[in-house]
Amino acid sequence: MHKNMNINVHHVTRVEGHGNIVVNVNNGKIEKLQWQVPEAPRFFEAMVRGRSYQDIQTIVSRICGICSITHSLASTKAVESALGLKVSEQTDKLRILMHYSEQLQSHTLHVGYLAAPDFFGEPSVVPLVPKATDAVKTIVRAHRIANDWSDLLAGRTTHPVTLIPGGLTRIPTEQQLRQLQKTLKDAVPDLKAIAGVVLSVAGNIPKFERDTEYVSLKQTKPPTYTFYHGGITSNDNKGAALPIEKWHDVTNEYVVEQSTAKWTKWHRDSYAVGALARFNNNAELLSPMGKDAANMFGLKKGCCNPYMNTVAQLVECFHIVETSIALIDELLTKGLKQEKVISSPKAGKGSGCVEAPRGILFHEYEFDKNGLCTAADICIPTNQNHASMQKDFEKLVPEIINESEDSIRLKLEMLVRSYDPCISCSTHMLNVEFVK
Amino acid sequence: MKKAVIVIGLGNTIMSDEGIGVRVAQQLSSFSAEFPQVSFVDAGTGGMSILHLISGIDKAIFVDCAKMGQQPGTIRKFTPQEIKTTKVLAHQSLHEADLIKIIDLAKQLDQCPAEITIFGIEPQTVEPGCELSETLAGRFDEYVTMIRQELAKTTSGGL
Repeated sequence: MHKNMNINVHHVTRVEGHGNIVVNVNNGKIEKLQWQVPEAPRFFEAMVRGRSYQDIQTIVSRICGICSITHSLASTKAVESALGLKVSEQTDKLRILMHYSEQLQSHTLHVGYLAAPDFFGEPSVVPLVPKATDAVKTIVRAHRIANDWSDLLAGRTTHPVTLIPGGLTRIPTEQQLRQLQKTLKDAVPDLKAIAGVVLSVAGNIPKFERDTEYVSLKQTKPPTYTFYHGGITSNDNKGAALPIEKWHDVTNEYVVEQSTAKWTKWHRDSYAVGALARFNNNAELLSPMGKDAANMFGLKKGCCNPYMNTVAQLVECFHIVETSIALIDELLTKGLKQEKVISSPKAGKGSGCVEAPRGILFHEYEFDKNGLCTAADICIPTNQNHASMQKDFEKLVPEIINESEDSIRLKLEMLVRSYDPCISCSTHMLNVEFVK
Repeated sequence: MKKAVIVIGLGNTIMSDEGIGVRVAQQLSSFSAEFPQVSFVDAGTGGMSILHLISGIDKAIFVDCAKMGQQPGTIRKFTPQEIKTTKVLAHQSLHEADLIKIIDLAKQLDQCPAEITIFGIEPQTVEPGCELSETLAGRFDEYVTMIRQELAKTTSGGL
């Protein structure tokens, strides 16, 4: 037991986003143990007020560079709900295909660029290159496929331009879809290689468990491992799902002293969202390759080791690719048609929900009769994970308190990374000094 | 088929001056007929996607908001070799991105263009808002002209 210890991992970069890890031990007693998030990315709610329903997606797609398709889809679904717009089956399927591309983009990035260096004992992906060149190149290839896939469906890799209320402005050709399907089939060996590399270092994933409430989407008609449709469920909700419109009853946002970001709770004092939550609520609905990948890592429904979120993401990569190959078959069998999209302003209120790569995301908007936004409310997955991260800290630190300070710091940092919090995505500017 | 030269605008258009790179690239794309070998991309805050955008390209030109310790509105042209990053990354999240580190990774993977030029523009205001500050808005045409001249010089060399 350390007599005295002070761990302060401060992330002080730019204006709006930082998360701090604070551990203070005094005379052998843990005096302070906090995940601090002095940040609340709520400004965009004010930014959309007074704007037309047609402009909402363009603005909110800039909230995040990693989850821009997800924010766009959640907002478009909310706008459509408010205006009573229905989309065609073809649009629905193409949007799901678009959404999958972002899941693959984000998951490969997270597994390869953020988590893998931890497993290999490197501080970041750059020094990992000489140590595991082939593995990094394979990750980059998989990430590139996902990016090109987003480009095809969303009009560009980030900040989509093809989504509008009621439909899509542009659809791919059947030939492009066939090519995408072939690319995805060809990508399977790369995914297997990535899984093999992660498995080879999986012994470095900390063994830690905390009984946790996991919240995600759940779709019963038809039963699907869903990222896009369905209601809200948790392992505490006895298999039942709440309609999306009831999302405030799930998030129950509250304010805590250590964070200016609001925290959330449902049945307990915290809950977790993300790939592990989706897996825990829907594992039996994974595609065959997804199930094989889970078995490979011994990942079973009910797993409550937050570090395994990275493995759950990897499992989802297989599911996404296999499911997308089948979805393209469905689209090609029916044949693609150009569809006319018409929408008109109307007063109303609507909610939209999809799974971001890092967990369930809610958007809600209200419009006046001219279609101008009068109120907006967004609850991002990272805010829903803050309380869970704090609870993990509180259970983990006493369990590892006899380890070295460096080891404790690393395990806490790895824990934060396993959730992949969205804590600083809205500005990416350069900070430089001239050396020549 | 990828073009020989790419102009990549970076930043966030809902964070006032932070979006200057995107806005300049968008404006430059209206001159695309003058530069058939050049593609213009609004890469927003896509971070690591830059790695893929520059792969297989001869020359990449980045336009980005940059804290350089200069007067707000100042534009400076430099190469990655002329600067060092002072950005502190906690390495906690995919949402952190540093162009200089991404260029390093591209080099390590042997996927980096032979020539990289960065146009950094010192911000006046970085806070939520869809408009540029008056300082940057007032010099916007100057930024566009400067990069257009750079493109004319680049492409006249027979790329």
